[in-house]
Amino acid sequence: MTAAKRPSARRSASPSELDKKRGATLVPERRCIRVGDRDVPFLAGAVHYFRLERAEWRAALAEVAGLGLPMVETYVPWAVHELAQGAFDFGPSHTPGGDPQKDLGAFIDIAKELGLLVILRPGPHVNSEMTWFGLPERVIHDRACQARGPSGGPVVLGFPPRMFPVPSYASETFLAETDAWYAAFAAVARPHLYPRGPVVLLQVDNEAAYYFRDAPYDQDYHPDAIALWHAYLRDRHATVAELGRAHDATYADYVDCAPPKRFDLHDEEDPAAPSRALSLHLEWAAFKEHLIERAIIRMKEMLVRHGLGTVPTFHNLPLGELTAPLSLAKLEDTVGFVGLDYYHARREHRAIKRRTLYVAGTSRMPVSPELGVGAPPWFTPLAHEDSLYTALVALAYGLRGFSLYMAVDRDRWYGAPIESHGTPRIEAASWKALLRAMEATRFHRLARRVRVGLSIPREYVRLARTTHVYGPITPVMLEAIAGSPIEGASDHPLGFKGPIQLLWWKMLTRFADAFSRAGEPYVLIDSDASPERLTGIEALVAPSFEIASPERWRALTTFAKNGGHVVFGPAMPSLDLTLSPRPFEVPRLSTRVLVDRDADADAVVSELLSHLSPLPRFSCEAPIEVCVHEDDGRPRVLFVMNPERRAIEASIQLPYPIDTTDVLSGDLFAGEHTLTIAMAPQTCRMLRIDRAARPDAAVMGGGALGEAG
Amino acid sequence: MRTHAPSTTPAMIAADIRIEGFDARSWTNLLSLFAPQVAERPKTPPRTSDAPEVDAAELASEPASGTLFVVVTGGGRVLAARHTKRGRVRGLVYTGAGSLATLGASHRADRVVVLREGALEEIAQRASTRMERHDDYVTQWLTVMRAVRSAIEAGLVEIWPRPFASVPIPSAAVVSRAVDAVLPDGRSLVLGVFSRTTPWTLVALRRSEGEIDRIVGPDVISRWTGPLGGDFRRDHRVISEAVGKHLAPVHLGIFADERDLRALLRDARPGAWTRAVVARDIIVQPTPPYIAVALAADGMRAAARRTEAWIEGTAVREVLSQLAPIANFMRGRAAEVASVTQLLGFDPLKLLAAWLEGTEQDPRATAAGHPAPHEDEDEDEDA
Repeated sequence: MTAAKRPSARRSASPSELDKKRGATLVPERRCIRVGDRDVPFLAGAVHYFRLERAEWRAALAEVAGLGLPMVETYVPWAVHELAQGAFDFGPSHTPGGDPQKDLGAFIDIAKELGLLVILRPGPHVNSEMTWFGLPERVIHDRACQARGPSGGPVVLGFPPRMFPVPSYASETFLAETDAWYAAFAAVARPHLYPRGPVVLLQVDNEAAYYFRDAPYDQDYHPDAIALWHAYLRDRHATVAELGRAHDATYADYVDCAPPKRFDLHDEEDPAAPSRALSLHLEWAAFKEHLIERAIIRMKEMLVRHGLGTVPTFHNLPLGELTAPLSLAKLEDTVGFVGLDYYHARREHRAIKRRTLYVAGTSRMPVSPELGVGAPPWFTPLAHEDSLYTALVALAYGLRGFSLYMAVDRDRWYGAPIESHGTPRIEAASWKALLRAMEATRFHRLARRVRVGLSIPREYVRLARTTHVYGPITPVMLEAIAGSPIEGASDHPLGFKGPIQLLWWKMLTRFADAFSRAGEPYVLIDSDASPERLTGIEALVAPSFEIASPERWRALTTFAKNGGHVVFGPAMPSLDLTLSPRPFEVPRLSTRVLVDRDADADAVVSELLSHLSPLPRFSCEAPIEVCVHEDDGRPRVLFVMNPERRAIEASIQLPYPIDTTDVLSGDLFAGEHTLTIAMAPQTCRMLRIDRAARPDAAVMGGGALGEAG
Repeated sequence: MRTHAPSTTPAMIAADIRIEGFDARSWTNLLSLFAPQVAERPKTPPRTSDAPEVDAAELASEPASGTLFVVVTGGGRVLAARHTKRGRVRGLVYTGAGSLATLGASHRADRVVVLREGALEEIAQRASTRMERHDDYVTQWLTVMRAVRSAIEAGLVEIWPRPFASVPIPSAAVVSRAVDAVLPDGRSLVLGVFSRTTPWTLVALRRSEGEIDRIVGPDVISRWTGPLGGDFRRDHRVISEAVGKHLAPVHLGIFADERDLRALLRDARPGAWTRAVVARDIIVQPTPPYIAVALAADGMRAAARRTEAWIEGTAVREVLSQLAPIANFMRGRAAEVASVTQLLGFDPLKLLAAWLEGTEQDPRATAAGHPAPHEDEDEDEDA
């Protein structure tokens, strides 16, 4: 919602003239990649050539194609291909005498022969359970490349099989090393770009969250990061005096403003008013996002400079995306789209739903670059049923594509649908059926009608991150484990009426549950998201407290001026992010609410919905959940979910008679007014709607509402 | 992390370790034997809120489980508290180091960890500056454990209860010597677990050049063996031979039915393993010297207990006949080995059994300080 400052061309949803000249282009409004004269949905499977025997590549890729996936994706790990600084082995087809297992070109050629398009992910960070996350050991142990903790020491990540000092996203040395790696990679990848070859997408870096050392004061105090911090302050504050006023400090120069090394505002027991020193911490949190974005921009520019600019790019966020120190929405100014990675057990139904509603509401292309099928040995074990349930629930709530990670098993992974030597496991049949159904329904083009958005206020997310009290058990880790972005935030009110860092989330979750109880679909929209994400949204719930971002508030008032309804509260903001008093305009069409109990939220939702035009509804009683996906107003797919650990006979009230087929089991269900479906524990059915006897009035009554995106 | 000269600490886990050949079921089965809580985690009840929060009153009727983390300022003000099973905790009051047991009881937690604000950052910084570039994962964890212990000693971290407070953190060299005894260099270890006539999980691991460098599962092993007969008492030879051929000569092979092995792993009673071996409920083949010693010691403990029982009327002939094969074996081998137990100063099988019991027993019993089942005088002495 803060797009006004950004170049509009970047926000354009349709391909630019430049895009049209490219071999492959991203078409977000159709949720696909345009490849020649084909629209290809983002459906891929991960195969790591460098971890499979060379002789097994063809069989593995053939089985991936056999699943019905149009694309294969692979990391291209720097550490695998670098022999020594400046010396690389990309296998015999590129490096005479090279290792056949590293023959990236040959791998791509086989994929092409089998009709697969290719996605390449050259890092530099690849994780992939690789030692040192796929970075060369010489690089991670180069002091100039290493991120620095507040005392200047290295910042170590505890992942097996080796803890290692993580690199700095600010380090010019590291970025120069990355540039050299990209140059070597590009020399191999360039000839394979579409239309000469099958490569249609490139990922820039991976899960860029400071290598999971994302706590606010974990890093980065690298000299290059500190220089960037000072440059950032110069850009944001016209004068040193202004900077001093913002931080309630006295500086002779920008360089006098040292980055904070700990959150020191907990020390005061019960301050009567918020300290203006809070602005320094909020600015540091915003800078941490800027630092990552800048690094991604630099890396993208490197790829373009090395001749790889003719295919679209993307990025992926790990679990814990809300508290991750980067903005999905802002990153989409640099790369084509940003998706979310999914690794969930069935019990995490709420997390799957919440995360999908966020990516569906915020990203221009809501997909999952890594949808975990199986898991690494050091994660919570996931069964096939967990992966399938995750995929179905994510699709139900608006995911439009995914990459099965992994499609083919490999070292440090178990549970992929295809064994490492290319034999499909019995579980492959489910994925095949699901992919067939997605193709048959053109699922990537369907839409879930949504007219309510819950706004995620970026400044409050930063406040939650800034007040994180568990140090290296970071906000991202805690959100991933515990499922909420406020898990690590303190209870301290910091001089406000209450701990804003907690209250904003509690308010949103109350409304989320209230909309669910009312059967009203909603999405979560990051306050950084483009105004285009608000297309079709009629009402926006936006938590607000004494302090707020004036930019966010402007976007809200603009939304209201354009006819949208804003529900805000409990407070009308009066302080900007420097804690300076300033007037905030009350949105034209708005309701200020105080929501202390679930019943309060129910009442507000009921009142709000009474003002919106009625929609034909598929409704059911909790805990069963349903989602309908339409194609130009015609219902095509109905998802029915039972998140409970007990079997339930679901009774779904229908707005019109329908006949359906379960795409996985083949079961048929039909009903005039009610659909009765036996739901096994923790299962989701994807029902293809074969017939809908739908009166036109019911179809037209819903208004022009489309899924955000 | 220091990046100067290579460390002389022996590596135990290879940097390029390969783990492969499992499907989801076989991996979860393996975990369920040795880390049941991890394997069961996905089956815990789904969350009912996106912002779970409780207070002590709401917890009163809950069974005790999980860990309560409390972060306090230097002045003792509570900044945040969270229960690993129930979410954020409202309104918790911390009254000092002596109050942890009370906190655990009132908040229905098995464990309580109180952290001074900044303690975890301090631990992370201490550990990272003490690690050497060439340290392996075990050595790195020992460094972290030492950093944690020094934070506890400095009063930055308080933990209740502290079961290992008096146990010294071993050096990497000591752990390495223990690994030498369990799995000598250039050899492999195999575990084959069957469910009736079907392999339930198979795993083999290899030590090469001092490091555990490969762990393979049933997909790989079954490719090496071809079709198995379905009786572990016969199949063990085929499996060991295949692993020996493709991975490394087998130093220790353990083969059993899943239910028997699960029960044995949790059985701390003297003689349980010996009886299972003698009855061929479990096949230990090959039997490395330390296992023989451990089994013999186990048998001797049982004998001591049975002697008491004999006095009360149990037939001594039965006991002696059960121990005879082990006694014969021991005569040939005992002198040539130092047992792992001697090396480590504790019996790893007993520790494992106690731990598994601890993780699976009714948490209310633990919170209330009740002993785990099967604890007896022997356990107390050994402890």
